[in-house]
Amino acid sequence: MKTWIDSILVSKQRIALPIMTHPGIEAIGKTVKEAVSDGQVHYEAIKAVSEQFSMSACTSIMDLTVEAEAFGATINLPDNEVPTVTGRLVSDAASIAALEVPSLDKGRVPAYLLANKLAAANITDKPLFSGCIGPFSLAGRLYDMSEIMVGIYIEPDAINELLAKCTQFLIDYCLALKAAGTQGVVMAEPAAGLLSNEDCQAYSSEYVKQIVGAVQDDNFTVILHNCGNTGHCTEAMVTTGARALHFGNKIDMVQALNDCPADVIVMGNLDPVGVFKQGDPDSVYKQTKTLLEKTAAYANFVISSGCDIPPHAANANIEAFFSAVKNYNEGR
Amino acid sequence: MNQELLQKLSECVEFGKINLASPYPPNMKGQPGADEYAKEALDAGAQPSEILDELVTAMGKVGQKFTENKIFVPQMLLSAKAMSAAMMHLKPFFASGAVQRKGTFIIGTVFGDLHDIGKNLVAMMVEGAGWEVIDLGIDVKIEKFVEAVQQHPEAVVGVSALLTTTMVNIKPVIEAVKAASPDTKIIVGGAPLSAEFAVSIGADAYGKTPQDDIVWLDTLIA
Ligand code: B12
Repeated sequence: MKTWIDSILVSKQRIALPIMTHPGIEAIGKTVKEAVSDGQVHYEAIKAVSEQFSMSACTSIMDLTVEAEAFGATINLPDNEVPTVTGRLVSDAASIAALEVPSLDKGRVPAYLLANKLAAANITDKPLFSGCIGPFSLAGRLYDMSEIMVGIYIEPDAINELLAKCTQFLIDYCLALKAAGTQGVVMAEPAAGLLSNEDCQAYSSEYVKQIVGAVQDDNFTVILHNCGNTGHCTEAMVTTGARALHFGNKIDMVQALNDCPADVIVMGNLDPVGVFKQGDPDSVYKQTKTLLEKTAAYANFVISSGCDIPPHAANANIEAFFSAVKNYNEGR
Repeated sequence: MNQELLQKLSECVEFGKINLASPYPPNMKGQPGADEYAKEALDAGAQPSEILDELVTAMGKVGQKFTENKIFVPQMLLSAKAMSAAMMHLKPFFASGAVQRKGTFIIGTVFGDLHDIGKNLVAMMVEGAGWEVIDLGIDVKIEKFVEAVQQHPEAVVGVSALLTTTMVNIKPVIEAVKAASPDTKIIVGGAPLSAEFAVSIGADAYGKTPQDDIVWLDTLIA
C-alpha cells in the first residue's frame, strides 16, 4: 500500500508493528500446530491479536516451513512450537535439476492462503501483511544450510538453478497472497545475513529483486526481513527495491536508518526474546522508550520486534510496548 | 621439497582450496588443493604429524580471521572442508596409532534445536586443532549423548543451543552425562548462552567462539 507507506513518511505519529501471532493463538486456546495447519484457526488468531492490542497493521504467522514443505521437504509439527524442516531434500546438481517448482495446492499452502483471505476480508480497519520465507533461506532449507554456504562457491551453477526455482515459487505464492487481498508480505531472509555484502547481493538480493519486480506495487509492499544482518549487508538489502526493510536485534537501529534511503520504511528491532519474552513490563517499557527516542529524527522508522515474538511472551509485556509507543506519540 | 608442499597445503587450508576440482578461490582455480597436496606431501615422505601441525596452524589463522570479522561463515566452512580433505589422508595413521590426536570431542545441538551452522564450525575447528570429533548432529536427545559418552569414556562433550527455548534443555543433558560418567567434562556454547548460564546448569566451561573451545580443550590435556 503505497498510500499506507506514504502516510507513515508524513505522519508525526510513530507506527508500531511488532511481528506477532502467538498471543492470538494463545488467546483463542489453540495450539501452534492447529494454527499452522488450519486456515480458519490461523485467521482467528490474527483477528484475536488485532483486537487485543493497538496494532497498526497485522501480520500472519512467521512459519519458515510452508514453502519447503510444498517442495517436498519433511516437516516436524510439534504441538506448541513452530514447525521445523527435517533432513535434506536436494544434495547435488542432478537432484536440483530434477526438482519441480510446486503448484500452490501442495502441503499447507492452501491453508495459508485461506487464512490470509479470511483475514483480509474480515479485518478491514488496518493493513494485513502476509509472511513468506526469502529465496536464499528457502534454498538453504532444501539443500542444507551449512552446505549451501559452501555450495555458492563450489557449485554456483547448481545453487543458482535452485535459487531460480525457489524464486519462481515465491513469485507464484506472493501473487496468490496478493490476490487474497493482503497489503504486502514480510519476507524472512535470515540466512542471507550470514553472507558478506557481496554474496548477500549475488545469492539473495538479486533474487529478491525479481520477486519485488513481479509483485510489489502501490497496493502491495514487500517488507524484507533479515535478522542475520549485523550491519554488514544493509547495502545489499537496499538494492532489492523492497519498499520496507525489517531488521533484527543484532543491528544498531540508528546505523541501519543511516544506511537506508529516507523513502524506504525501516523497521525494527526490539529483541523478541530478551525484551518481549524474558523482560518484565517495566523493562519492556524502558527499552521501547529508549529506542523511540534514539530514532526520533527519522520519519521512515516503524518500531517493531527484531523477529517473530515467540510463544508465551506475557501479554503485560506487549501492553507495555504499546503503552510506551502511545505515550511517546502523545508527546510528539 | 616437503617444506614447499607443506607451505602450499597450508595456503590451501587458509584460503579454502579444497581440491583440484573446486573452482574456489578463483585465483587458485585449476590448481591442486588441500586434498592433493596432503597426499603428495605424504608420498614425498613428510611425516603425518608434520602435516597435522600444518593443518592446525592454518586453521588457527582462519579462526582468528573469523573472530576479527575478516571472513564470513562460507569462507570459514570452505577452509574447514579443505582441512577435512587433507585430514582424510591422515586417517590411516590415526587408526594405526602412528599419529596421536589430542583426544576425542563429542558435539551436538541439543534436542528441540535445529540450528547447526555454529555447531558445525566448532566441530570443524576442533578437528582442525588436532582432535577426533564425533558429531552427533542436531536435535540430539539425552540418550544419544549418554550413549556416545559410554562408547568413548575419555571424550570431552560440547553442547550447542541457539534458542532460548532450547538452551534450558542442556541442563538435563549435563545431568544425564555426569550421572553416567562423573568425570566427563562438558563445554556449552551458542549465541543466547553466557558464562553465568553455563555455571548455573553445571557445565564445566562456556565457549563464545570455537577458539575459546580449543583453548579450553588444550588446558584439559596440558
Ligand atoms: C540461520 C538461522 C536460522 C536457520 C538455521 C539453519 C541451520 N541449519 O542452522 C533457520 C532459517 C532454519 C532458522 C530457524 C529458526 N530460527 Co533461527 N536464526 C538463524 C540466524 C539468522 C543465524 C544463526 C547462525 O547460524 N549464526 C552463525 C553461527 C556461526 O553463529 P552461532 O550459531 O552463534 O555459533 C557461534 C557461537 O555461538 C559458538 N558456538 C555455537 N555453538 C557452540 C557450541 C560450543 C560447545 C561452543 C564452545 C561454541 C559454540 O561458535 C559459533 C562460531 O563462532 C539467527 C540470528 C542471528 N543473527 O544469530 C537466528 C535465530 C537464532 N533464530 C531464531 C529463531 C526464533 C528461529 C525459529 C524458531 C524461527 C521460526 N519462527 O521458525 C526457527 C527454529 C528452528 C529450530 N527449532 O531450531 C532466533 C532465536 C531467538 C532466541 N534467542 O531464542 C534468532 C536469534 C533470530 C532472532 N533474532 O529472533 N534460523
